[in-house]
Amino acid sequence: MTTLHIVRQSAFTSDDFAQCLQVLRNNDVIVFIDDGCYNLHHSLINTIDSAAEIQLKVIEKHAKARAVTIDETQYSVINMSNLVELTLTTNRVITWQ
Amino acid sequence: MKKLAVVVTTPPYSNLSVTALDYVETALKSGVELVGVFFYQDGVIHANQQVDIASDEFQCIKHWQALQQTFKLPLHLCITAAEKRGLSDEQPNNIHSIFTVSGLGELVELVNKADRLVQF
Amino acid sequence: MTQPLPKLTAILNSKAPYSSTAGKDALDIALIFGSFEQPTSLFFQGDGVWQLSQGQDGTIISVKDYLKTFAAFEFYDLENIYVCQQSLIQRGLTADFHIEQVQVLAQKEFAEKLAIHHTVLRF
Repeated sequence: MTTLHIVRQSAFTSDDFAQCLQVLRNNDVIVFIDDGCYNLHHSLINTIDSAAEIQLKVIEKHAKARAVTIDETQYSVINMSNLVELTLTTNRVITWQ
Repeated sequence: MKKLAVVVTTPPYSNLSVTALDYVETALKSGVELVGVFFYQDGVIHANQQVDIASDEFQCIKHWQALQQTFKLPLHLCITAAEKRGLSDEQPNNIHSIFTVSGLGELVELVNKADRLVQF
Repeated sequence: MTQPLPKLTAILNSKAPYSSTAGKDALDIALIFGSFEQPTSLFFQGDGVWQLSQGQDGTIISVKDYLKTFAAFEFYDLENIYVCQQSLIQRGLTADFHIEQVQVLAQKEFAEKLAIHHTVLRF
């Protein structure tokens, strides 16, 4: 039973991403979209427990449009079709905006 | 086959709405059934016929219109949220014809019909 | 045709009550879902916990006091009300709420409780 977390806001502006991290459970999936892409290099990322096996993904064009570099050892790069699939394959979706 | 419902809460002049549209369009074109889109909060501004976005900018409403027509996609408008933002379904009606005037009861329906609900 | 199990809906409140309409917009959804007998839980996290603070009075600043309607939750069968303990602590708040039946949950329990819901709407 996994949750898909769609993060759309920069944690430098809002508390949304921090709140997302509060409710994160093992094996959940986080997708950074829109201004959520600015979180890829935010220090909050380092607070995620590596043992929790959280999948971190980012919509490529949203990061590229913002000149946000993606460390592909840490994040998997996806497109909108992948996001649609993820909404169907996970058990619930929470949008953090 | 799983069914989706989508809630849009952002206005037509925001790039956040382009993402919502992109998501819906991608889902429909890949054959996913969308039971409906519910426009709430500032999302209802999409339905205002008087919204005039400069012609060199992204025309959200044209894209919604195309999806509504091509895929018979129901676009529900929360009338309470709409009236608060200057929209009216009485004369003079300024609600774009592609929208179905609805209330929050419709959101209950969409939640029940869909396997997943995604909020934008 | 078999009757599907009722879907559990969570409404996650994240905004303080007065400067945005988010709290009222979420409340309107909660009351409609309740009146349609849709099993619905309310969660308060982040600045959303301010919606529950005892002793506030929006009428002083000309806000229609929609928070008073929270007292009617029971009438709408909205009996699952959860608040994030960590959010309270971060804001120096105690469990002093203007409605009864609020359950304060530690971070992990809050997360687990949220995850039993099928649909989550966040405002």
